[in-house]
Amino acid sequence: MRGADYVIKRTIFAVVTVFVALTINFIIFRAAPGSAVSNLARVPGATHALRAELEHEFGLDKPKLQQYFIYLGQLAHGNLGVSFASQQPVSHELLQALGNTIPMVLLGTLFAIGFGTFTGILAAYRRGTAVDKASVSTGLFFYSLPTQWLGLMLLLIFAGTLPSGGRVDAFLFNPTPLQHILDVLKHMLLPSLTLGLVLYGEYTLITRSAMLETLGEDYILTARAKGLSDRRIVTRHAFRNAMLPITTLIALSLGYIVAGSILIERVFSWPGIGQAVYYSVQNRDYPMLQGAFLLLTLSVVFFNYVADLLYFKLDPRIRE
Amino acid sequence: MTSPLLAVQDLEVWFDLPHGDTLHAVRRVSFSVERGERFGLVGESGCGKTTTILALMGLLPPTATVSGRVLLEGEDILEDGETSVRPHRWTDISMIFQGAMNALNPVQTVGAQIVEAMELHGIAEGADAKSQAGQLLEMVGIAPDRLDRYPHEFSGGMRQRAAIAMALACEPKVLLADEPTTALDVMVQAQILLLLERLSQELGLTVILVTHDLPVVAEVCGRAAVMYGGEIAEVGPVDTLYHDSRHPYTRLLFAAVPDPTGEEEVVSIPGAPPRLDRPIVGCPFQPRCDRAFEPCPTEQPRLIALGADHQAACHLNDPAFRAVS
Ligand SMILES: Nc1ncnc2c1ncn2[C@@H]1O[C@H](COP(=O)(O)OP(=O)(O)O)[C@@H](O)[C@H]1O
Ligand SMILES: [Mg+2]
Repeated sequence: MRGADYVIKRTIFAVVTVFVALTINFIIFRAAPGSAVSNLARVPGATHALRAELEHEFGLDKPKLQQYFIYLGQLAHGNLGVSFASQQPVSHELLQALGNTIPMVLLGTLFAIGFGTFTGILAAYRRGTAVDKASVSTGLFFYSLPTQWLGLMLLLIFAGTLPSGGRVDAFLFNPTPLQHILDVLKHMLLPSLTLGLVLYGEYTLITRSAMLETLGEDYILTARAKGLSDRRIVTRHAFRNAMLPITTLIALSLGYIVAGSILIERVFSWPGIGQAVYYSVQNRDYPMLQGAFLLLTLSVVFFNYVADLLYFKLDPRIRE
Repeated sequence: MTSPLLAVQDLEVWFDLPHGDTLHAVRRVSFSVERGERFGLVGESGCGKTTTILALMGLLPPTATVSGRVLLEGEDILEDGETSVRPHRWTDISMIFQGAMNALNPVQTVGAQIVEAMELHGIAEGADAKSQAGQLLEMVGIAPDRLDRYPHEFSGGMRQRAAIAMALACEPKVLLADEPTTALDVMVQAQILLLLERLSQELGLTVILVTHDLPVVAEVCGRAAVMYGGEIAEVGPVDTLYHDSRHPYTRLLFAAVPDPTGEEEVVSIPGAPPRLDRPIVGCPFQPRCDRAFEPCPTEQPRLIALGADHQAACHLNDPAFRAVS
């Protein structure tokens, strides 16, 4: 059957992509200038002997190829290594950061998907009207704003009303679970909103153009000639076809959720993956960086894979 | 006297263009069609054929302004815009399009699209609708087990057949066919035309066939209207148009038809159709006409009755001017 063929092909493609990415991951951080031991903030003015000892401890004195196979072997056992900077297992550190990042980014992304596709559909449907113009200019405005600038502006505006950074209020002692959740939500609002607004611009513009394209197709005219209501034409015929490009966009942005956003997490001091990557770069913390990029790779590849499978479900023409 | 099945009276369509311009695409078009008749609407590309038939079903975009009346069995279906025309869509008047390459939704099965029309108009539901859809496919020469196939699995000709089956789903009185064979190859064209002719005869279906291809009309239709520059230049039985044309454009159009033996060269009409986005003074065809005379550049010709069922808009037929020339 053709369907099985397609799925197998996509699966192999995903696996190969992951493997290639793993290898590039390994090479790229070792090719970067600077070394782990020279930049460790914890060992200022270290002697040569101490550095050599540290290099030995981290396994950096072994030949590169051997390091590579050790890396792959450890990965196969689910071992991402130990952070140079914190001496904690990378998997533990990443998981914690991920737990902070995912809710924040997910909230923003869902806001963008829901609101963006809705106004995109509305704008296309009411093409040329004030609604359309307002929606397009709003979308363009947020899409073109630099993320960190938007974040700073929101900070300026809301700093009094909402917390300006961090994930929890340090002075909230022994909160009840409900208090804790509300506290985190309050801290999450601004970073999520920043991300959501930037993504919103993208979603609403892409949805609008995908919808306009399908609304101009002959089968839409056929649907109108059949006597269908506008509402049904938009939902049954136009949106179903416009879904195809939108699905790709959704999969891509979901894939990037685990990357967090370095800019946003920096601006709002959000202790997520973005922050972790930022500090790891400063510390040349290879295992952390490798771990973070591995996570990102897996997530992006996975969601692309899901998008491919969804496409297969949504577009009968692919089944050829 | 009974009213004709479909009568179009003084139809006018203007399109708003960007920068505040308007384009007068259809001008004072009137014609009527009887039950079971096959009526052709012919003319060069851009003369307003598609606009005319889209106006009949109220399907023009919001940039269009329409005036005039479309009487279906005496009832003006455009009177209250969308409200009055929608109940007639597909149940009384249905439509097929050029080549049908994209007339079917690519992500729905052909069967689902036929059934959708039936269920919407309360013709049939569920399994019953599906079996009726199968019969329709059979009627247009497609095996009923292809109901569950998607449009891309059909060839161009089969897609047009499926589109015809869908158009017949609610047993309409009138089928509007806009260049139904244009994108198809010659063999398939002939098959589709034969199919339309057969269906019209078997079902007593009225077909309005829109085309730029005069031989197609001559083959399929009994009567036809020749359009030029948004207006009707001549209307009458196809035989009369061929043997006793009273408009130079009709004559040149027939002359432009290649000889069936393929020996003679195609005679095309020199010049280009008028621009519709500016006012036309005099006869629209006058700049290209080989028989233009004094009144043509300034006086607008009106349709003049030349027989019981034959009208032409040409000063050559007007006794007032003939006396002068
Ligand atoms: N939506 C539209 N907006 C503006 N002008 C249009 C539109 N549709 C058609 N026209 C114009 O109206 C005229 C008639 O077009 P059309 O009815 O498509 O001609 P035909 O079907 O005979 O080729 C052309 O000049 C065309 O450019
Ligand atoms: Mg046309």
